[in-house]
Amino acid sequence: MPRIAILSSTVADQIAAGEVVERPASVVKELVENALDAGATSIEIEVEDGGRGVIRVIDDGSGMESDDAQLALARHATSKIREASDLVGVSSYGFRGEALPAIASVSRLEVLTSIRDGEGAVVRSNGGVQEPLTPASRRRGTTVSVAQLFFNTPARRKFLRSARSEWRAIADTVVTMSLTRRDVRFRVTSDGREALQLPPAATLRDRVAAIWGADYADRFVDVDGVAGPIHVRGLAERPADAGTASRRVFVVVNGRPIRDLGIARAVETAYRSTLPHGVRPSFILELVVPVDEVDVNVHPAKAEVRFTNRWGTERAVEQVVQRALGTSDATPWIGKAWAPGVASVASPEIHLPPMPSPAPMAEGLFADASPAPVATGTVPEPMAEEPVAVPDLVQLRRTYMMYEHDEGVILIDQHSAHERVLYERFMGDMARGSSPSQRLLFAETIHLDPQDADAFESAADVFSRLGYEIESFGGHTLLVHAVPTPHPRFDAIRCLRESLAALSGGRSASTHARHEHLAATVACKAAVKAGDLLSRPEMEALFRALARCTLAAHDVHGRSTIVRVSWDELERRFGRR
Amino acid sequence: MRLTISREKLQEALVAVSAAVPSKTTLPVLGNLLLETTDRGVRISGTDLDISVSMEVAADVETGGGITVPARKLSEIVRELPPSPVKLSAMGEQRIVLECGKSKFKLLGLPKDEFPAFPSVDFKSAWRVKSGQLQQLISHTAFAVSVEESRPILNGVLWEVREDTLRMVATNGHRLAKMEQPFEGGTKADFIIPPKALEQVRKLFPADEELEIARGENHLAFRSPFVSVYTRLIEGPYPPYDQVIPRDNDRLATIDKAELLSALKRMSVVASDQTHRVKLSFNSAILKFSVQTPDLGEGQDEIPVRYEGDPMDIGFNGVYLLEILRYMPTEQIRFTLKHPERAATIEPEAWADSGKYMCLVMPLRLVD
Ligand SMILES: Nc1ncnc2c1ncn2[C@@H]1O[C@H](COP(=O)(O)OP(=O)(O)OP(=O)(O)O)[C@@H](O)[C@H]1O
Ligand SMILES: [Mg+2]
Repeated sequence: MPRIAILSSTVADQIAAGEVVERPASVVKELVENALDAGATSIEIEVEDGGRGVIRVIDDGSGMESDDAQLALARHATSKIREASDLVGVSSYGFRGEALPAIASVSRLEVLTSIRDGEGAVVRSNGGVQEPLTPASRRRGTTVSVAQLFFNTPARRKFLRSARSEWRAIADTVVTMSLTRRDVRFRVTSDGREALQLPPAATLRDRVAAIWGADYADRFVDVDGVAGPIHVRGLAERPADAGTASRRVFVVVNGRPIRDLGIARAVETAYRSTLPHGVRPSFILELVVPVDEVDVNVHPAKAEVRFTNRWGTERAVEQVVQRALGTSDATPWIGKAWAPGVASVASPEIHLPPMPSPAPMAEGLFADASPAPVATGTVPEPMAEEPVAVPDLVQLRRTYMMYEHDEGVILIDQHSAHERVLYERFMGDMARGSSPSQRLLFAETIHLDPQDADAFESAADVFSRLGYEIESFGGHTLLVHAVPTPHPRFDAIRCLRESLAALSGGRSASTHARHEHLAATVACKAAVKAGDLLSRPEMEALFRALARCTLAAHDVHGRSTIVRVSWDELERRFGRR
Repeated sequence: MRLTISREKLQEALVAVSAAVPSKTTLPVLGNLLLETTDRGVRISGTDLDISVSMEVAADVETGGGITVPARKLSEIVRELPPSPVKLSAMGEQRIVLECGKSKFKLLGLPKDEFPAFPSVDFKSAWRVKSGQLQQLISHTAFAVSVEESRPILNGVLWEVREDTLRMVATNGHRLAKMEQPFEGGTKADFIIPPKALEQVRKLFPADEELEIARGENHLAFRSPFVSVYTRLIEGPYPPYDQVIPRDNDRLATIDKAELLSALKRMSVVASDQTHRVKLSFNSAILKFSVQTPDLGEGQDEIPVRYEGDPMDIGFNGVYLLEILRYMPTEQIRFTLKHPERAATIEPEAWADSGKYMCLVMPLRLVD
């Protein structure tokens, strides 16, 4: 049996380094964070051979006194906290005093630092063994160079990937930091070539444009809202654009970039029904959470945090993003009309309980003895609705409704809009379990091919919730006795046929997904089509109904229902400016 | 072609015939009217290929011939002309000059051969119907046709000619209207006619005129000495409507039409603008109405009624009821019912007419 021995501090550091320093990108992350903590306004990152050769981070921050520079390489040496209680709400990236010693223990490290222009010192370390400090001179700030990462831990070195993929990870790291700290200038070179040059940016959108181009920045709508104690802001991809470029997801909590699947899922939930199956949106979100509701010290690379109220945080994200999409930047123009129905935040997993059945009516009209809402989880009914101001609508090409707004011209796709309206109504009908149903004078016979029959069988209950009364004979012949009448032009039989054809094949697992899919399919088939001439009252009714939708700006396929052309744009096109 | 015609006559013919001209068409000549000289004057015709209308008006013909002229332009010009004789002269096949007082216009037309020929219908076997009788049948039934494309048969009005009756029926599958008029010397025949054509028939022939009606291969033609309307027929068979008309509705209500109308109008204000659902509760002396529309509000009302049978609640699309009541010719109407899921009928009460009229409405399921 081997005897127990205390590890030498070098070995201990190397083991600790295993957690902090996984790969070159983690070195970059730690060094950039230190530079930011030192108050740098400009950070330059030089990388050679994907960081496997040299990583150099040059900042214009506070610099260190000579003594501190030496101490900085010692474990648990930090200038950032003193007591454990300082950890609550710690605002610096660093707080453990672990990064530099960890990196030093697995590389050849050099710290050149100066607290005043023209002064300074150099500290060097080889695999954690410090060399004596030598005086040097540079402008105020610090340059940390890390060479030959993992030179003394061959096992780790073996796990490094190609220079290309290590470089990509470094670039991602810098991009993440640069999205978080738009006030700081970043410059990155790889093997001497400039890869990224980011001047300070006023807004997140500007920074996104500087990184990926202005077109890319245009894909996003602004998110900015408060839900409970949580402030969520940033950018979320327009549903219509989602899935058309590589997906990028960034989450920042109280200024720290983190990974968080729960928040990503909450964002996706906010998009529900605006995106085709399998398409996931890009987004960049910054959360400001009360400091006592989040623990930042739970992950060795600080890549995760712990929320004391995770459910609340996720719902807040969902709600704010949904609001942003429903009022996407196409819509705020549509007056107060789209003002978000805040109550729309019903979580997808929760089934809406059936509506309380109308109580017997009391004396007189509009008796205020409205059915007392059952206490547990009833859906609040949006009763006293503000009237929607309907603008002067013009139909174009029998396809779009157009009107003038203070800020420009707004176009609404009549089919998409109607589809959205019907979808939300159908979802409501299904949740309530019934909808008005018109009995037919002549029961309609429909013959189905095997796929459609299959589709019918799996959706029969849902069709009946929508108001269809259908009798099935031997599975392949349907007798339709009653049909829903969602709007005066509705062609119930054609809608049934087409919906069955569209549903055949696909089958969704959960009830909710099934309802959604069916509602979307039927809404699509039931909606007015492009080419249908709409009368003025019809356009007005559609506008009003759309204004009351939760996600007015998008149809069920995630396409835009509303497009705007600003006066600015028109004036540019006419050469007026 | 060269002729002189009074502005009024020309205007009258243009108004009548332009109704058949399609507002949008891919076949340019359909936007034109055909002008042809006849022994009596000039015949002006328009068509959208489904329905063709022509009217002959007196004119002084100098030289015979024909030409087609853009319908809209010609009508707009003639409408603004002073009340003086109008001289029309064709210049070649495609150009026409119009002169009236000091006004002079040249219009580009198309050769008359390009105008589609009217369907051939043989009037030898024609039968005769009083225009007023047709008007009566049409105006009480045509409103009930379906506008859905999936069942084209229901887009038409069924016209049943019997030895001793003329009957028209229209339905959209939710409600139905049926009217019968006594008739003499009919030969059994069924036609399904687009309501648009019937509308022309109703408008273009004066009530006291006797019409000749004849059938072509799949057309029907109506004509008087000066006007003719041709229409394509919709191919049948029409669904067996007679089987679904209830004979055993044993709950009878007699209601004042005006009171029912105004109560329904009030209810419609708060009824859903999509389903228009209104609940009717029949009781021995009172008919109660109630409406509950999520997101909108609710309303209730009641009117006196004479009712025989057990009390019953039934839901309807209020628009269907309102529409039917508009066509009911008497002050009192009779409502018959059987069951909340079965057809209800509405008939005029004590109608002093030799005809019979009945409308039927299928209920709307009440959600509870
Ligand atoms: N670029 C820099 N400019 C100024 N001081 C620096 C710089 N880099 C490191 N330091 C100093 O060195 C100390 C140690 O840095 P190190 O990264 O090891 O620990 P930390 O940042 O405090 O905590 P963590 O391990 O959580 O990153 C810091 O507390 C800071 O005082
Ligand atoms: Mg640090």
